Amino acid sequence: MGRRVKVTIDGKVFSAEEGESLLAVALRNGIDIPHLCYEECLEPYGSCRLCIVEVVEGFKKGITTSCTLGCVDGLKVLTNTPEIEKHRKVLFELYLAQAPNSEKLKKLAEKFGVYSTRFKEKNLKNDPLNGKCVMCGLCVRVCNDVLGVGAINFIGRGYRATVNVPYFEESDVCKGCKACVEVCPVDAIDYSDVGDKRVMISWSNTKVDLIKCSVCGRYFSPLPVFGSVSKKLSEYGVVCDVCPDCRKRLIAKNMTSSGGYNSYA
Amino acid sequence: MDFKVVDEIIDKYKDPSGRILGILEDIQDTYNYLPKEVMVYVSKKLNVPLSSLYSVATFYSFFNLEPVGEHLISVCMGTACHVKGAPELLESLKHLLGIDVNEVTDDGKFVLTTTDRKFSLSSARCFGCCSMAPVIRIDDRIYGYVKIKDLPAILKEYGWKEK
Ligand code: FES
Ligand code: FES
Repeated sequence: MGRRVKVTIDGKVFSAEEGESLLAVALRNGIDIPHLCYEECLEPYGSCRLCIVEVVEGFKKGITTSCTLGCVDGLKVLTNTPEIEKHRKVLFELYLAQAPNSEKLKKLAEKFGVYSTRFKEKNLKNDPLNGKCVMCGLCVRVCNDVLGVGAINFIGRGYRATVNVPYFEESDVCKGCKACVEVCPVDAIDYSDVGDKRVMISWSNTKVDLIKCSVCGRYFSPLPVFGSVSKKLSEYGVVCDVCPDCRKRLIAKNMTSSGGYNSYA
Repeated sequence: MDFKVVDEIIDKYKDPSGRILGILEDIQDTYNYLPKEVMVYVSKKLNVPLSSLYSVATFYSFFNLEPVGEHLISVCMGTACHVKGAPELLESLKHLLGIDVNEVTDDGKFVLTTTDRKFSLSSARCFGCCSMAPVIRIDDRIYGYVKIKDLPAILKEYGWKEK
């Protein structure tokens, strides 16, 4: 662990690790700074610009993105000055025009006092993401950098740039893990589990097989994900082919009957 | 499709960093577009996700994902050329080449190819020679101060015949 330092956010002092993202510190301590492109498991990216704060004491004074701002001792920032609010409003308005159909984005904007946009709303026909994508890049980075799958990426550039599978054709590498759905800050990615298949609707209806829980028979995990996870876990004698609910039940049962640790943990 | 050519292209690039652009460029030189089978092959061979290759190929307007004609005509639609009458040039080129479809693909790019695969017509944004507006480019050559009445003569240089 790195050196501990003290940073001040809106007049309150917090302890942080030197170099860690100021946005992380703020969020951890319940200070709400809007953000779209930050995700704990990824390096700060600084692309959405929504997380701006004003540095009043620190290495460089002025307005900057808090996700890419490293904590140093004595750093002092403000998160809600009139100037920040002004910039943020424009940013929200631009995002509302870029992704007019995202309810989640609307809610976020409303929380920060922005209810409408002065810009022309984007309206592309046949958009697989239904006018909800803000191009933050989180799904692309998770799929490529964290999971190493690389099923999706940016396509094109400029006004019509989007994210999708290559050639807009069903992907043969997508594992159906849904990490992209999970990290999307605006709920732009659609999927649905039907019977023994998971359909990644937004990714040109890429279909992935699901596997059944060996106890209750419910479909619970995509086969390709299960394959790689179970290979690792079975080395430790962990039983993998049960769904989370049944696993809980099994653990509880084993604990009460044998009074000890068991292989379902 | 013969992948030996592709293998040779890939072999030319030893350094893995930044070679993708070079490889795609050479492939386009060979086939005059980026055939899908070749993209899939390159992705497997280099162990680079197809999604990244496709991303690069769609980012640069230089790359064509569809086959194009022998000669590629691009009409500059940048601000300067637009003002100086590029849309009219585009219309008359369509007329002269006998391409009268008015379709623009979903990605906003369009390439219209004549049925004999001799010419492809597309539009582009600013070639960086606005002082000569309006500008068209045929293959590697730039034509400046183009007037509608010059077009037949220019096309004839590339084997176009009046119908
Ligand atoms: S979260 Fe900091 S720029 Fe997007
Ligand atoms: S606008 Fe046509 S060359 Fe610049």
